[in-house]
Amino acid sequence: MLKIKELQASIGEAQILKGLNLTINPGEVHAIMGPNGSGKSTLASVLAGREDYEVNGGGVQFNGEDLLEMDATERARSGLFLAFQYPVEIPGVSNINFMRAAVNGKREHQGLEPIKGKEFLDMVKEKAKLVELDGRLRNRSVNEGFSGGEKKRNEIFQMAMLEPNLAILDETDSGLDIDALRIVSEGVNAMRSPERSFLVITHYQRLLEYIVPDFVHVLVDGRIVRSGGKELALELEEKGYDWIKEDAVA
Amino acid sequence: MRDLSKPQVMDRPRKSTQNSKAQEAGRKWVEQLEKQLEAATSQFDEALATLPVPHRRVERWKYTPVNGWWRAIGKRAQITAKQAGCEPCPIPGLDAYRLVFVNGEFDAEASDLPVYPGIVCSPLSLVPQTDQAPRGSNSLEQEDWFAALNGKFAKEGLFLRIGDGISLDRPLLVHHHSTGEGCAAFLRHDIEIGVNAEIKLIHWSTASQPSRGVVNISTKATVGSNGRFQLDKVQDEEGHIQHMAFEEIQQAQDSRVDVYTMTIRGQWVRNDASFRLDGKGAHAELNGIYLPDNTEFVDNHTTVDHRAAHCTSSEHYKGILYGKSTGVFNGKVFVRPDAQQTNAYQQNANILVSDQATMNAKPELEIYADDVKCSHGCTIGQFDEEALFYAQSRGVGVDAAKAMLVHAFIDEILDGVAVHEVRLEVNHRLAEKHQWTEWSDHLE
Repeated sequence: MLKIKELQASIGEAQILKGLNLTINPGEVHAIMGPNGSGKSTLASVLAGREDYEVNGGGVQFNGEDLLEMDATERARSGLFLAFQYPVEIPGVSNINFMRAAVNGKREHQGLEPIKGKEFLDMVKEKAKLVELDGRLRNRSVNEGFSGGEKKRNEIFQMAMLEPNLAILDETDSGLDIDALRIVSEGVNAMRSPERSFLVITHYQRLLEYIVPDFVHVLVDGRIVRSGGKELALELEEKGYDWIKEDAVA
Repeated sequence: MRDLSKPQVMDRPRKSTQNSKAQEAGRKWVEQLEKQLEAATSQFDEALATLPVPHRRVERWKYTPVNGWWRAIGKRAQITAKQAGCEPCPIPGLDAYRLVFVNGEFDAEASDLPVYPGIVCSPLSLVPQTDQAPRGSNSLEQEDWFAALNGKFAKEGLFLRIGDGISLDRPLLVHHHSTGEGCAAFLRHDIEIGVNAEIKLIHWSTASQPSRGVVNISTKATVGSNGRFQLDKVQDEEGHIQHMAFEEIQQAQDSRVDVYTMTIRGQWVRNDASFRLDGKGAHAELNGIYLPDNTEFVDNHTTVDHRAAHCTSSEHYKGILYGKSTGVFNGKVFVRPDAQQTNAYQQNANILVSDQATMNAKPELEIYADDVKCSHGCTIGQFDEEALFYAQSRGVGVDAAKAMLVHAFIDEILDGVAVHEVRLEVNHRLAEKHQWTEWSDHLE
């Protein structure tokens, strides 16, 4: 599904990704962990198509197509989803209209007619249940005045609405209390399927107790320095990142 | 400090602001007009000779280019709306009375005047001058050369008297259409709204391509105690029209006035809206949007003069500037010594879409009372790149995402427009001008 090869990316003068390799197959859940500044969020941004970053080496294939050739809209319509670490507030645009534009954008890409009003509302109701997003939050302006937990639940709601092939969760657990973390994780788990893959980016092992990954990778200084199963996360929790950093240098 | 016991308007022009070149151009232009139009009165001749003809060093005209004004004035084309191919009512689905003017002349056939107890509504030319509000009573006419010009030449317009306690059952539309080359149109709307009376008025200006000319519209309205006046003003003129609009509104105790100025298209547009809150507890609401593109120029000058206690005013203008367009906002709020407990709010927000667009914004607050609440804010910015990326990352196309942000920005204003059909049509015409169909389509 996703093949990242020797990916290099910079912002301004700073080279952040320095040759990153990762392959994700359908149905797999991969976790990327790493210390602050290792390039985790850069990877998410580059994959989603944020233009602030310059890709200066390597390549990314998504469902057999060159991902880096597409703009952010095309990537989303092709089935890639990024749950933002800091979801953006858009005053004056209701959450529901925002989602309708998004859903219809995807349908246009698939050669389908715009979704009918009733069908859309039924879909909203069903998907909102997943993350306990009540009507009040659905009708308010996108993320405006939402609490941290509500914003993250809204991200997962949007993901459920768009039914991506690959969802990237960028530090979705940061700033969440335990209840919100549980709701968000249950939402994600309900969406796991043999066709859908996840790339879970996190600083803390805690999230991975709820969303159990098939693979864990450790990102240090723009490269994946170690990969393993879910037990690697526990090891990191126990020992911290320093031993891996030292290993990586050695 | 100046003597505030006497009525005054700010920026009283001084002789020293005269510029001999501009005076000469203005004088010649008046001569041209005199050849084509019969003047309504000679009482402004002295004012026109002595008031400074606007140029860049007159404060009120600092950012407003007037060079283009001095163009040839031709014979006014005597033409009806029908002959001009102009829809008498430009707003689909609107159920309203209407007065239609073409090139400054009343078109009876295209009009549908209200016959309603307690209401006098007629074209101004049919009303004896003695019944009209006296010319020169409009303070702008004593201050501003272009307003004085209206005083001299305007013979036609809306004459409206709403009796005490009366409210008209439908909105009243005043539609002005310009067509042809070198036409000069002067309109004068003379409005009195009685005690407890109410009216919704729509001013809609259009011009057909490839018209060229000047339009000068002066509206004077007095609103009685507890009266309500709602004005939706839309400017959508193709071609090269230089459009000047003056509003002078006087409000008595507990009256409420809402004016929405929406500039859709216009090569050169200057709005001068002036509110005088004379009676306690009056409220003025003045809002506007402008979305110029290419080389269009839009100027909104506003004055809110708080003269009595416990009055409130709320002002909100928003602009999105495309291409090489230029915008001006000048918002003056004046709180006189007796106007205690005034609450005045002013906000002007702008988005520059292109790096070649220009916005000049200036709030001016003069406060002479000590127990008041006055706030103002002004922003000039760009599209929120984060919001754009967020929308794109959800599969919304970049154009639709921009349209979405534009709507989010201007809908805050449009939501308050008095007549729903006006709002829809403004939205429709803006979408047409800026090709926003994609976002609107998503919401069908």
